[in-house]
Amino acid sequence: MPLKAFVGHVRFLARQGLGLLWVPQVISLVRGEYTCPNLLGLPDLVRQYVSPSVRLLTPVLDARRGKRQLDRGYLSWGLQFAALPRVLRAWQKACVVQRSWEEEQGRGHPAGSALTILLLGPGYLVDDAYLNGNLQRKLQELGVAVVRADLPDAVTVPACRYLTKRPYWTTTRRALGALEHFRRTVDGVISIAPFGCGAEAMQGVLVNQRLRGANLPYLELYVDEHSSPVGLHTRLEAFCDLLERKKSG
Amino acid sequence: MRVTFPHLGNAYIAVESLLRGLGHEPVTPPPTNRRTLERGSFHSPAELCLPFKIALGNMLDGLDQGADCVLMIGGWGPCRLGYYAEIQRLLLEAVGRDVEFITLEVPRGIYSRYWNHFRRLTSGARLGHVLRGARLAWAKLNAVEALENLALQTRPRETQHAMTTQFLKRQLDLVRRAASLKEVEDVLHSARQGFLQLRESGSGQGWPLRLGVVGEIYTVVEPLANLNLEERLGNLGVEVVRTISLAGWVTDHIFKKALGCDITAPLRRLAAGYLRGFVGGHGLETIARSAALAKERVDGIVHILPLSCMPEVVAKGILPAVSRDHQIPVLSLVVDEHTAECGFQTRLEAFVDFVQRRVGQRVGQKQACLPWS
Repeated sequence: MPLKAFVGHVRFLARQGLGLLWVPQVISLVRGEYTCPNLLGLPDLVRQYVSPSVRLLTPVLDARRGKRQLDRGYLSWGLQFAALPRVLRAWQKACVVQRSWEEEQGRGHPAGSALTILLLGPGYLVDDAYLNGNLQRKLQELGVAVVRADLPDAVTVPACRYLTKRPYWTTTRRALGALEHFRRTVDGVISIAPFGCGAEAMQGVLVNQRLRGANLPYLELYVDEHSSPVGLHTRLEAFCDLLERKKSG
Repeated sequence: MRVTFPHLGNAYIAVESLLRGLGHEPVTPPPTNRRTLERGSFHSPAELCLPFKIALGNMLDGLDQGADCVLMIGGWGPCRLGYYAEIQRLLLEAVGRDVEFITLEVPRGIYSRYWNHFRRLTSGARLGHVLRGARLAWAKLNAVEALENLALQTRPRETQHAMTTQFLKRQLDLVRRAASLKEVEDVLHSARQGFLQLRESGSGQGWPLRLGVVGEIYTVVEPLANLNLEERLGNLGVEVVRTISLAGWVTDHIFKKALGCDITAPLRRLAAGYLRGFVGGHGLETIARSAALAKERVDGIVHILPLSCMPEVVAKGILPAVSRDHQIPVLSLVVDEHTAECGFQTRLEAFVDFVQRRVGQRVGQKQACLPWS
């Protein structure tokens, strides 16, 4: 479903009559891991839906062999437009911005709410109020503090050591690492995924297995283009009721 | 050890020989059937793909027959297959079947685990024995494939309905029982003659329609997963051109990968202009083979994939472009445990009719026969 939304965005932009479109091919962001297979073919998929006059800008981001390879992907893409010194300057500026953003993310741990919930899910779903049926807003209305699974890799990689085999999808590994990290501090776990998401189906099994002994309620949500926010909200309310009852004993 | 393993088409014939060579007792699960699938789906999350569920069903059947170890293949993504074994182990554990899993994959991470697996597999076996078993397994795998391809060619030309399928079954059984390379060779030789006899005689037959089958490997080779796609097409008078071979898969994904060869380069060349590289599983293969088939003398392409298969979804999005550029009809079939035979058959018949009309009436075309006629 997020692919459909993406193609929708692309077609909207293409109708505005633009000639250049930035669609990166994100193969891998962390050494030895992959992003979703659908992202691997994204530029080629998008190509089918836009007219040939639109040029696609496609940097290949591939960190399977390490971070240096990833950086080289950015730089060699930049070299198409400018000379090396300028590319390097732009690259450094981008790194600084990214780092400060990451630090900001780590800080805000909400407190003071009755309930805290760990929200697992891919960013394109968790942050998109339309696609997720206004999930975050609804949780806020229910008086629940949401902990996001955005943790630096330095935390999530060691946290996944308990698994016999480290998952090779970055999102899954991050989610499981976050689960490990927050397991003792939250009251419940909610995961949201697009219908048909392959990694999520496996992640669900791993999360369930981990939570079985921990006495921590877990709600799995799947959304697609047919899901209605009303049904979603009912489930959220019921889940929060359950958490409250559990907490008050 | 009594080792069980999930089915992949007729690969069990070769795996049995391999395991015997290693000094283990193979516990082949009964042929995959509806019940296997139901058992597997019952214990799996609904969103997992069809191959996972069938494989889990096979494992449960194998364990019922007294196996104490499961042999499975692994991998490092991005297709879900690589993580199957881990999840299946957890699911079996959850239903109280705590069994040992031996995963065959390129080692990464904790090496001692792989070393233990290797020791478990090879302990108590003599090298000569192992090599002989491996050679026999390889010969059997190739023989099985040769037989299946012969059947694909014979089926649209057979004189009597369903004779080819029966004959193939008998020959596969003979290959399974063969104990030496010589015996495998003999079976293959006599089967070649046998298949020729099943064909319609006379030269005025013309050519049957030729349809290429591409897609995710499991759904292509496993008859239960694809609802006997090849047999159905054959009975409709179509010669099926297979693009996926198990022996080729083993060469590419086990031998060449272990040696560090780039197996995607030739495929990338074929898929140039459509897909720039690997998307996991058989996504790239699907596009590359479709483009290659379109240039050959093939009248249409059938693309088959399990529901929610991540790589094939990408391929499915790009296939219409291949179809448009090469002027070749493509039918994409999505299968899962709820696929109904009737709807499947109707779609195949409609596609075959359409392709037939498109290429024009050919002389002596075997009539697309209805099941009751």
